Amino acid sequence: MTVAGNGSENRGGGAPLVRKLVLGALGVLLLVTSGLSFYRHRHLEEPVVLSDGVTEVKKLSDYFDGIRGTVNDCNVYFFEGAEPGATMFVMGGTHPEEPAARLAAWLIAENAVMEQGRLIVVLSGNRSATTVTRLGGAYPPDFAIPTDWGAQTFRLGDRWSNPLDQWPDPEVYIHYPSRQYLAYVDARNLNRTWPGRPDGTLTERTTYALLELIRRENVDIFIDLHEAELQYPVISTIVTHERGEELAIFVSMMLSDEEFNIGTEYSPKNLHGLSHREVGDASQAISLLFEAPEPFLDATRGRTTREQLLTGIDEFVMKAGEHGLLFEHIDESGWPIDVRVGRHTSTVLQTMEAWTELYPDRPLSCRGVPRYAEVIAEGLGHWLHDPSEAAPGRLVTE
Amino acid sequence: MTAYAGLVLAVMVVVYIAAKLFKLSTELAMFAAALGGALAGGFGLPARHIAEGAMTYLDINLIFITATLFMNILKEAGGIAFVVRRIIGRFHRSRALLFVLLTVLLLVPGALTGAGSVTVLITGGLVAIVLQTMGISRVRTVAIVFIIAGLSAAAPPVSLWAMLTAAGVNMPYIGFFMPLLVPCVVAALFTIFFLGRRSGEIDLEKALQELPAPPQGMSWLRVAFPFVVFVLLIVIGRVWPHDTPVVGLPLMFLCAAAASYALSPIRLDFLRISRETIEQLLPLIGTLTCVGVLVQIMTLTGVRGLLAVTTVTLSVTLVFATLFIVLPVSEAVLMWGAAPVIGVPLVLLFNTMGLNPIVALAGMSVIWPLGDALPPTAIIGRLTVDVVGYKDAYTRFLKSCIVPAVFIMIIGTLMVIFSSELSFLTGL
Amino acid sequence: MAILQTLITVLYYGLIAYVAVILIWNFSKTRKWEQEVLYIIVLIPFLLRLFRLK
Repeated sequence: MTVAGNGSENRGGGAPLVRKLVLGALGVLLLVTSGLSFYRHRHLEEPVVLSDGVTEVKKLSDYFDGIRGTVNDCNVYFFEGAEPGATMFVMGGTHPEEPAARLAAWLIAENAVMEQGRLIVVLSGNRSATTVTRLGGAYPPDFAIPTDWGAQTFRLGDRWSNPLDQWPDPEVYIHYPSRQYLAYVDARNLNRTWPGRPDGTLTERTTYALLELIRRENVDIFIDLHEAELQYPVISTIVTHERGEELAIFVSMMLSDEEFNIGTEYSPKNLHGLSHREVGDASQAISLLFEAPEPFLDATRGRTTREQLLTGIDEFVMKAGEHGLLFEHIDESGWPIDVRVGRHTSTVLQTMEAWTELYPDRPLSCRGVPRYAEVIAEGLGHWLHDPSEAAPGRLVTE
Repeated sequence: MTAYAGLVLAVMVVVYIAAKLFKLSTELAMFAAALGGALAGGFGLPARHIAEGAMTYLDINLIFITATLFMNILKEAGGIAFVVRRIIGRFHRSRALLFVLLTVLLLVPGALTGAGSVTVLITGGLVAIVLQTMGISRVRTVAIVFIIAGLSAAAPPVSLWAMLTAAGVNMPYIGFFMPLLVPCVVAALFTIFFLGRRSGEIDLEKALQELPAPPQGMSWLRVAFPFVVFVLLIVIGRVWPHDTPVVGLPLMFLCAAAASYALSPIRLDFLRISRETIEQLLPLIGTLTCVGVLVQIMTLTGVRGLLAVTTVTLSVTLVFATLFIVLPVSEAVLMWGAAPVIGVPLVLLFNTMGLNPIVALAGMSVIWPLGDALPPTAIIGRLTVDVVGYKDAYTRFLKSCIVPAVFIMIIGTLMVIFSSELSFLTGL
Repeated sequence: MAILQTLITVLYYGLIAYVAVILIWNFSKTRKWEQEVLYIIVLIPFLLRLFRLK
C-alpha cells in the first residue's frame, strides 16, 4: 500500500529483529506501566467512616436484583431520625468527574445525625464511572484532601460509565421510554438514562434500581449533586421539577440572602433522561439537581492538574470570563473545593429547613453536617474521619 | 500560565517541524511533538497519559477497520467492478446521468467509513478509468476523485471531523445528516460537472476493456445484500431500540463484511484481506491514535486551553474571514487532530455567539478535507495521484482543484455565517 | 436479551483480539522502521482493552 510507504527499509538480517525486539520491549513497558496505573485507579478503595447517625448500610441491589454483583451495586447509607418526618435522598457521583458532589455526600455520610425524618445517601451513583478517567481529558487518576490526621485519597472519575463495564456503545442512543435521540456516548451517562429499565444496559439498570429505591422508600425529596463548567449556562443553580418549584425558590432565596448566590431553573419538559425531569415524573419524589462551579471542566482550562481540580484557579478560564464567555464569575481566588462542597452541604441543609417550614407535619432536621462558612473556615478535610480509628463495624469502602 | 503553555506549544511546534525535516511521517511527528510537549511541560514521559490518549479513538478506529474490511471484501469479490461496468453499460449514452452515478459511487465508501482514502482505494481507481475514457484529462480526473473523496469523508453518516468536534464539546452527534449531506452532494456534483465539462461521450468498448472483469456469477443481489444487512441492522436498532441488544457500528460493518464474504462468487482469503486492510489503514488509524496522544498532552499542559481561549477571544469577523484558510491548513498539519484542537474552540465560540453549532460544524467539516491535498501531509492527495497513475507535477493537480475548492470554501463559510438561518436542516 | 448483549460484548473482545493479532503479524512482517513504531503505538489501546485495563 502506498500511503503507508514512509520509513526507510532495513534489509540487514539481524538489525530488523533487534529493532523489533527493542520496539516490542518499549511497547510492553508502556503497556505495563500505564496498565498498572489504570488497574490501581480502578481498584483504589475509598474509606468511609460511618457517622454515628448511620443506622443501616444497604446495597443498591436490595432494590433491584439486576445489578447484584456488578460494579454499580453501590452502598446506600440510611440515617433514621430520632423523630419521624419526611425522607430525603441525597446522591453524589452521578458524574464522578465532579468531585465536590461526591465529597459533599461524603461529609454527610461521615457526620450527619438525623433528628427528625430520614436521610438516605449514595456517594457513588455511577460507581463504574468512578473507575475511569476521561479519554483525552488528561485527568489525574485521583486527588488527596488534607485532613487533620493525614490525607485521604479519592478516585477522580468520568462523566460516563467505564467501557469495561458497558461496551459497545450504540450507533445512536435512543432514550427509554421517550425515544429521544441522544449522543451515542450518553448511553453511559447516568444523568441521561433515567428512569432506566430492568433489562437495559448497566447504566439504565442502575437508574432503574435507584428509582426503585426512591419508590419503595417513599422518598419525598431526591437531590442529585453536580458540578458544571463555567461556560455552561446551567450553573450555580437548583434545577427543579415543577413539583419542587416552591421549595427550590424558597431555598434559593434563603441561601442568596444569607450565604451565597444560587439561582433556580425549571427542568425542561422535553429534555429527557435527566434526574430532575424523570425522577419527578416517574415517582412521588420532588426532584432537585444542584450545580456548583468547577473550572476544571472548562475547555479553556490551562494545565490539567490536581491543583487546578482542587483550587479552581485558572488564568485561561478567567480570560474567557473577561470576554463575557462565562455564566459564572471567576477571579484570582478561583473556585476552591471547600467553597464548592460548602455550597452543596448548605444547599442540602437549607432544603431540609425550607421543607420543614413548608411541611411542618413531616419535618426534616439534621445536625453534624458543616455549612458553607464552616467548610471554608476549617477545610473539608476537617470533617473527614481517620479510618484507622473507626469503631468496629463503622468502616466501609466505596 | 500563558508563557508556560506558549513555551510548551513552541516546543511542540519545533519538534513537529524537526520531525518533518527528518522525513518522519505526520503520525510519528505528532507523536514526537506530544512527547516533546510532555517533557517541556515538566511531566516527563507520562505513560498513563500517552496510553489514555492513544485509547481516545479506539472505537472510531474499530469502525474504520471493519468498514474498510467490508469495502475491501466487496472489491475483492468483484462487486465494485461489477457495479461500475453495469452502470456505464446501461447509462453510457447519458453523460449527465453517468456523472451523477459516478458521484454516488465515489461518495458511498467514504460516507460509510469516514475516510476519503477508502473512497480513493475502493472506487477511485475504477471511476478514474471511466472518466478518462470520457475524454477527461488525467489531471482533471485526479482532481475529481480527490475532491469528491474528501467530500465523501465529510458526508454522513460517518463524518469524523464532526464526530470528533462534537465529542469535544459534549454535543450529541445528532442532526448532522442533512447539514452534511446537502453541501457534500451539491459540491460533488459541481466538481464533476465543472471539471468534466469538456468531456465527450464515453468510449464504451475501451472502458470495458480497461475495467477489471467481475467474476462469473456476480450479481446485483450479491452486491446489494451486504448493504441491506447493514441498513437493516441500523433500522432495527432505531425502530426497536429497547427490544434489541446494542450492536454498535463496528459489528454492523462486520456483519455486512461477513455477508459479502459469504456471497462472494470466488473464494476469498479472509486473513490476507484483513492483513492488507490493516496495512492500508495504518496511516489512518495511526493518525487517530497519535492525535489522541497529542490532544491528551496538549490538554495536560494547558496548550489546548491556550489555543481554545485564544480562538474564542478572537474577533468574529477575523474568524469568519480566515476559516477557509485555517481549516485546510490545520488539516494539512494535524489531519483529524484539527477537529479536537481547532474545531472544538471554534464551535464553543459559535455557540456562545448564538449560531447553530450543528450547521456551523457541518460547514467546517466540508472545508476541512481540502487540506488533505496540502503539504506537509497531503495524504489523500498523494494517494489519489498514485491510484490514478498521474505522473505530472503535483502543483498542476492542485491548480486544477482550485475552482471546486473555492466553491466548497464559499459553501462552508456561508453555512457557518448563516447557520442559524439554516438550522431547519438539522430537523431538531 | 442480557445473554445476547453479553455475547455481543464477547464478540467485540474477539474482534479486538483479532485486530491485535493482525497488528502483531504485520509488525513482524514489515521492514520499515516507521511502520514498526506505528504498529506498536496503535497496538497499545487494543491490548489495554483486551486485557480489560482501560
